[in-house]
Amino acid sequence: MKKSTIIIIALIAIVAIWGVSAYNGLVKMDESVSTAWSNVENQYQRRADLIPNLVNTVKGYAAHEKETFQAVTEARSKATQMSINADELTPEKMLEYQKAQGEVGAALSRLLAITEAYPDLKANENFKELQAQLEGTENRISVERNKFNEVARSYNTAIRTFPKTIIAGMCGFDKRPYFEAEEGADKAPKVEF
Amino acid sequence: MRKLLLILSLFVTLYGQAKEYTVKEIPMVHLQDRTRYVSNPDGILSTYAVATMDSILYALEEKTGIQTLVVAVTGIEGGDCFDFAYQLGEKMGVGEKGRDNGLVVLLSTDERCIQFATGYGLEGVLPDAICKRIQNRYMVQHLGKDDWDTGMVEGIRAINGYLDGSMENIDNEEADNTPLFIIMGVIFGSFVLFVIIVIFFANQCPKCKKRQALQRISSHVISRKHGVITSEVTYICKHCGHHVTKKEQTGDPNYRGPRGGSTIFMGGGGFGRGGGGFGGGSFGGGHFGGGGAGSRF
Repeated sequence: MKKSTIIIIALIAIVAIWGVSAYNGLVKMDESVSTAWSNVENQYQRRADLIPNLVNTVKGYAAHEKETFQAVTEARSKATQMSINADELTPEKMLEYQKAQGEVGAALSRLLAITEAYPDLKANENFKELQAQLEGTENRISVERNKFNEVARSYNTAIRTFPKTIIAGMCGFDKRPYFEAEEGADKAPKVEF
Repeated sequence: MRKLLLILSLFVTLYGQAKEYTVKEIPMVHLQDRTRYVSNPDGILSTYAVATMDSILYALEEKTGIQTLVVAVTGIEGGDCFDFAYQLGEKMGVGEKGRDNGLVVLLSTDERCIQFATGYGLEGVLPDAICKRIQNRYMVQHLGKDDWDTGMVEGIRAINGYLDGSMENIDNEEADNTPLFIIMGVIFGSFVLFVIIVIFFANQCPKCKKRQALQRISSHVISRKHGVITSEVTYICKHCGHHVTKKEQTGDPNYRGPRGGSTIFMGGGGFGRGGGGFGGGSFGGGHFGGGGAGSRF
């Protein structure tokens, strides 16, 4: 065998080994993005599970605030119907999901706002603890969202930097969308008279 | 000289005002001394309160493996108590790796907040509602009156009440998984083997190779050094009359050591997690997922 053929074979082998390890690395990162995503969904689900209990407790003290209860329940059922597989995460779907969950959040904060008018309710131990659970869940959601963004960012960086981008292009690794800052959180509230 | 004054004045201005800490600036007393858990850089809590909490939390970690970090400061950067407590836990890695059983308790007097952050593994035994209940029942009323000591100690006691017995302390040392009787068996077996070998060969006459032949006829001390007596012992073979002299070393029963105690058993500290009695501890690398609750007072 000629020297040049040996060199060529060796080069091909090196490239193949690199390709396999790069591919496996990408698969691992893809998996961790999926895990992070399901953690986010779990926390949103947790919040959704708290809502019936919260609504019932508030109902006991403020039965006539029907519209608010309805808004919360509707937003909740809309949001829980939506479940996205991590593999099908597109920017559009992500936006839709975020919008639905954002509506739940907005409805919940309206519900909590009306409770301010009921001192008996606010003094209720059960309500206090539910509120603590809700707060904790909101905290968990923001933590998991940040973690998802971090993992997705490192994955996106990996599939878009040379030379891994070749492997990513051949094997169909797609860019993942991020969670954007909560809609309206960056804008000052509008006051109308 | 001018430079020195400048540096000195810088220090004075730094320490003169209430400090807003970042997560990294919080001194980790547990890393210097594994029996301490309460970081109290501004002296908000009395030494007595700190010692009480330390002893409760040390016992808790010994029993359950749950690691706690208590931080009491005058102010935090950013002013977000939840985020600060969460970052403390996650960055320092409070709690054991894998079990994620860390707990952070943060008191900031400027923000007027008390915040718990529970690791993933504690969310079941110390749910947010329970955290809130502990704060409402035992802490907020005292903290509201600036009675930091009572509020914190009562809170830590209550936490201990919920966590004590909630899980077992599984030391990650592998030796702990080996049943004791196997270890004892191995030690006993090798001891027996050793005795047999000694009996078989030690009394052998080097000339005629007969066993159990040597008889001690005389001995005299050559030296006494550091508690060891070296003596020359002469044996005679019962069969061929051959003389053998050996140097033998024995412990001196009257020796008291250079400083009045046996040096071998001092120092070195204990073993087990985190080193000796007052050695530095470590945080295991637990993870946090945003559990816990906070209250303002």
